[in-house]
Amino acid sequence: MSTSQAIYAGWMEIPTSAVNEDARRRAEDAAIAALVDQYAAALYRVAYSVLRNPSDAEDAVQEAFLRVLRHRHSLAEVRDHRVWLIRIVWNVTLDRKRRAKTRPETDDVAELARVLPAKGLSQEELAAAAEHHARVLACVERLPAKEREVLLLSAFEELTSVEIASVLGITESSVRSRLFRARNLMAELLDYERNEHERSLR
Amino acid sequence: MNSNPHKPMSSAPNSDFGEETLRLIASLPAPQGLEDRVHKALGAAPRMGKVVAWPTGIRSRFSLESNWMRTAAAAAIVFVVVGGGWGVLNRVEQGQNGKVIVMPARIPASGGFSGAGAIRTPETIPGPTVKQPAKKAAAPKKNRIAQPAASHAAPQPVAQ
Repeated sequence: MSTSQAIYAGWMEIPTSAVNEDARRRAEDAAIAALVDQYAAALYRVAYSVLRNPSDAEDAVQEAFLRVLRHRHSLAEVRDHRVWLIRIVWNVTLDRKRRAKTRPETDDVAELARVLPAKGLSQEELAAAAEHHARVLACVERLPAKEREVLLLSAFEELTSVEIASVLGITESSVRSRLFRARNLMAELLDYERNEHERSLR
Repeated sequence: MNSNPHKPMSSAPNSDFGEETLRLIASLPAPQGLEDRVHKALGAAPRMGKVVAWPTGIRSRFSLESNWMRTAAAAAIVFVVVGGGWGVLNRVEQGQNGKVIVMPARIPASGGFSGAGAIRTPETIPGPTVKQPAKKAAAPKKNRIAQPAASHAAPQPVAQ
């Protein structure tokens, strides 16, 4: 019992239910803190893969955990916290992306070259790799929303197709068929882009 | 590479779908101090109000769980409902003697229109009186064929 509680206990009786409530709240706070330590980085990467803006991704992670705090009473009912949290941050991220549709993302080559790891590459190779990454991201943006979502989530090593299905609220077979379509579309788009690029160089 | 059979991307590692780029993005490290900032944000978030219990003395004597307190509360509710109903009924009874508005007897202007039995008709100002048009003498009918001049007229036979 804290000092303030001990002081007030003489005048005001704290009922058993209130003590339980306080203990429960503390346990929930501790559980949320543990979730932050364990999954904040993973959630950031999920948010960044969609928003591609560090501060926006961090804001999305904070908003996701604030939502968790609001629904902390249902924390005990969650079976897989990781998938549950990814689902929350995914929804937050999509909301943010929808709201900030007019704002340009950091798709420029220089920003990508700075962000993406490129060890042992010469300056020319680095520039070419950054240009390729930018082209890929532009093609990803041109995909239909359903295929794009599955493709983005499938890039995460730690997510299985079952978990992707759980995050998106669809069946596993839908995940597979969407991923198949997304790959075909991406291959076509990248092929077209490559041909256009080569034609422009001639 | 992920050897998980449920991992969707593991089936085609070398094909160019731009997955390498997406994987690079997906494997980016989180910024330093992210967890601390999230902890701070959660600490600053407003919490729901805490339920404060009644003081011990008041709670033991005036607890809502006790029977007489419940009876008193029920009696108070009945009193309010009955009292309110009686008040409304009393006002309605008083209001039955409504004010009678006596309409002043209106003397119709001479020569005006009649009220045609209407309860209330707007006052009209006496308008201009229309003069009786003078009776004009009936205009002689014009003959279609012009009468010849007297000098050129054929001599009328004299009645004998």
